[in-house]
Amino acid sequence: MNNKYIFGGIIIVVFMAIMIFLFTQTNVSYENNFSKVINSEKTIKATGSWVKEKNYTFDKNNNIFSFYMKDDQGNEMRVYYKGMIPNNFESSTSVVVTGKYINGNFQATEILTKCPSKYQDQATQSANS
Amino acid sequence: MIGNIILTLGLLTAVVGVVMYYLTFKGYNNTLSIARLSFHATVILIIAASAFLLHAILTHQYQYKYVYNYSGSDLQIGLLISTFWAGQEGSFMLWTLFTAIVGLILLDYTSKRGDLEPRVMVIFSLVLSFLLIMLNPLLKSPFNYIWMDQDFINLKSINPAFLSMPALQSFMFNDPQSGSSFIQMGKELYATLTANNIAVNDFIIEGKGLNPLLQNFWMQIHPPILFVGFAMSAVPFSFAFAAILKNEYKDWVKQSLPWVLAGTMVLGAAIMLGGYWAYGVLGWGGYWGWDPVENSSLVPWIIGVASIHTLLVQKKTQDKGGSGRFVKTNLILSILTYILVLYSTFLTRSGILGDASVHSFVDPGMTVYLFLVIFLGLFTLLGIGGIAYRWKYLTENFSFEENVLSRELALFTGAVALIASAIIVFVGTSAPIFGQTVEIKFYNELNLPIAIIIGFLNGFSILLKWKHTEGKDLWKQSRFAILSALILTASFVIIGGLNDVMLIILAYSSSFALFVNGEIAYKIFKGKKSFLGAYVAHIGIAIFFIGVLATGGHSEHKQVDLTKGEKVNVYGHELSFLGYEPFDNGKRYYFNVEVKKGSSVNVIKPVMFVAEFNNSLMREPDILVGLTKDFYIAPVSYSDGTEEGDHNHSVIMKKGETFDYNGTKILFNSFVMPENMESMMSGGGFKIGIDLKVTSNGKTESLQPVMQNTGEGPTYIPAESKSANLRVSIITMTANEGKVELEFSNLDGTESKSHTAQLKEVLTIEASIKPFISLVWIGVIVMALGFIIAAFRRSKESYA
Repeated sequence: MNNKYIFGGIIIVVFMAIMIFLFTQTNVSYENNFSKVINSEKTIKATGSWVKEKNYTFDKNNNIFSFYMKDDQGNEMRVYYKGMIPNNFESSTSVVVTGKYINGNFQATEILTKCPSKYQDQATQSANS
Repeated sequence: MIGNIILTLGLLTAVVGVVMYYLTFKGYNNTLSIARLSFHATVILIIAASAFLLHAILTHQYQYKYVYNYSGSDLQIGLLISTFWAGQEGSFMLWTLFTAIVGLILLDYTSKRGDLEPRVMVIFSLVLSFLLIMLNPLLKSPFNYIWMDQDFINLKSINPAFLSMPALQSFMFNDPQSGSSFIQMGKELYATLTANNIAVNDFIIEGKGLNPLLQNFWMQIHPPILFVGFAMSAVPFSFAFAAILKNEYKDWVKQSLPWVLAGTMVLGAAIMLGGYWAYGVLGWGGYWGWDPVENSSLVPWIIGVASIHTLLVQKKTQDKGGSGRFVKTNLILSILTYILVLYSTFLTRSGILGDASVHSFVDPGMTVYLFLVIFLGLFTLLGIGGIAYRWKYLTENFSFEENVLSRELALFTGAVALIASAIIVFVGTSAPIFGQTVEIKFYNELNLPIAIIIGFLNGFSILLKWKHTEGKDLWKQSRFAILSALILTASFVIIGGLNDVMLIILAYSSSFALFVNGEIAYKIFKGKKSFLGAYVAHIGIAIFFIGVLATGGHSEHKQVDLTKGEKVNVYGHELSFLGYEPFDNGKRYYFNVEVKKGSSVNVIKPVMFVAEFNNSLMREPDILVGLTKDFYIAPVSYSDGTEEGDHNHSVIMKKGETFDYNGTKILFNSFVMPENMESMMSGGGFKIGIDLKVTSNGKTESLQPVMQNTGEGPTYIPAESKSANLRVSIITMTANEGKVELEFSNLDGTESKSHTAQLKEVLTIEASIKPFISLVWIGVIVMALGFIIAAFRRSKESYA
């Protein structure tokens, strides 16, 4: 018997199995169609844009930030986020929110803003890795 | 123009170098000097191109698109230099520069070791050639002129002396959305300017500036060190491939070991510098967010660390003669290290992570994307293909079996655990390619057991002897560590309140490693110091694990409002907001917070400012660094008491509660249930409302905003009161909990003043306690120190 393969093999097999299981448990898919977001009970990364006309609200007492988001087809939904307004939010053109659609609203756990505008396309998104 | 010519010449000499080194390897006698000459020429040309770019940046030559896009005239010198690597083109230039310099040292190193030079340098020249192709004018040259593509330049950047010229008027226009004016830069405008004898760098007098997120000290040191690490990771690849070329697998191990150690040290230090940047400046509150961009340099680092361990086994087992054990493993890992660096580059630069990462580059266009695929694909094919070509020979010649209680097997198992960890991070990080992503839990839960295994192996592998160890010897050597670790872990549980079983095991395995290595290091320290490397590095990783454990599991944070002049107690610290203080010519503000604990008083200065660059609020934390814990303050918002903000006010109310909006008292009286309950039950259309009693100026009236459900989702009908100057709209309603969220606004459109008479300055912060985070940094520094000691020792042993 080759010990090398027993030890190495067990570690790899066990971790592969756990990994595949956890991957199916924790994977989150991207969705840019809000009608699908609304009908799903899973955690989703919804991509869309901030509805500037409806502005945003920040409830200081409960520390809840909320705004409206719409997708390409014009479907709108209200997003709630427990936390502060992200940097760059005002100048964002595209928003990615992670969370679930519950009771008529999107409850986000994470907000990612992107700011590529027509006149300023590269500079805001440079590397700081 | 000159820059692009230099780079093109550099590419030509690099390709000549590849060919000449290959011919030398094939046995030609007179080609070696040409190869060396070409390689030196390439290096000189790359240094010249870099100097030229730096000069263009320092002298603000905005006719170069790169200089215009990333730098500005008001940057201080250090930051101005850092714009060299702020964008794609410049960071490729930097990477190429460091690869060239590493190549120079490598050439000197290999030329002194038998026939190594042509075999190693043929690959290394190829690496350099590919980086230079990336920098050519059609892909990512930093020397492209601004008029070569259409671009819109804000009038702020243009010399006002020329703005009234009639010839320019047709290139100017306004953007009604942002209210700014732009000039359209392109070939036509360039022709017009040339016709009027205007030089472009007289015409454009200001650049876009550097992203304020990048305007700090760490931007000046993290990327350069990271690219030195990237450059050095090409070395083990070259050595492994050199071995494949010659079909001889013994000497490359000791020859490459010092390089692998040094490269891994540099890359690891760079990664953690990035972590410190995230913690100390960017205000994430932590040092690692499992962001794909961070992870992508972590994966090759882990593989590099794994390869060190299996290379050591191969080197040790060579003492009996032959090539030793793990020949295949070592070839594969050394080659993978560089392939994974390229893969990381592909992920971060292809725009593929655009939606998944906070700081990935934007889509660079199809040509660059394709080239990155070719670059990655070719080196994968070369490396893996080379191994496959020799596979039959490798399997026939190198197969071994280890004893269970042997250091060989322990090191190999450690390497496998590391590889498993690398696979996990790799899979999670690559998921966005398939439109998926994983939650952070995925990384944490999977890496935890691996960390435990690594902790135990970290200790045991050092106690185990090569080939075979007697069980009772092992107990004799390890009992001090086993018992001390037990005491330390118990103190974590009792004093530190550690209560998760897995985390307790991790604490035990890490402290075990700490004591084993500490004990041996102490003994060696009195003897042969050059052998300390491994133990020091292992002590470092053990300290690092304990630090991660303490910080990760026991950080606490909460949001606090600090009213000027009032004291607030947060986690045993007495905080008071002293007011703000402008700096940097009034462009930024310190928000001074006095922190009193016992008899010590400190002022910490988180920063907030609105950046002109992207018109956004930027926030920087400040930290009160302590021996056992950091007290971390991240600014959230500031209100000077005169305005509430320019947005509407929303509030969640429960039935029976009263809310004060600009002096108007609003009582949530009751729900108004639908008239036909059957329609609601059957899912048809219905109306549901609430009744509010609104009291203003002594008058009370009833308002009833309504939510109407037509079956296609809800619509909201607001209620208005002229006498109270108030509009109320329902935002959401959870009738079964008796809660409703309402939005209030003024009817006449005036700004809604604060709902309570608040004329005080309030700073909102997020305060957190990070216990023992210093151990994370100390662990990394100790680990790096260990790598350096080991690299010195192995370089002495590397002569053939």
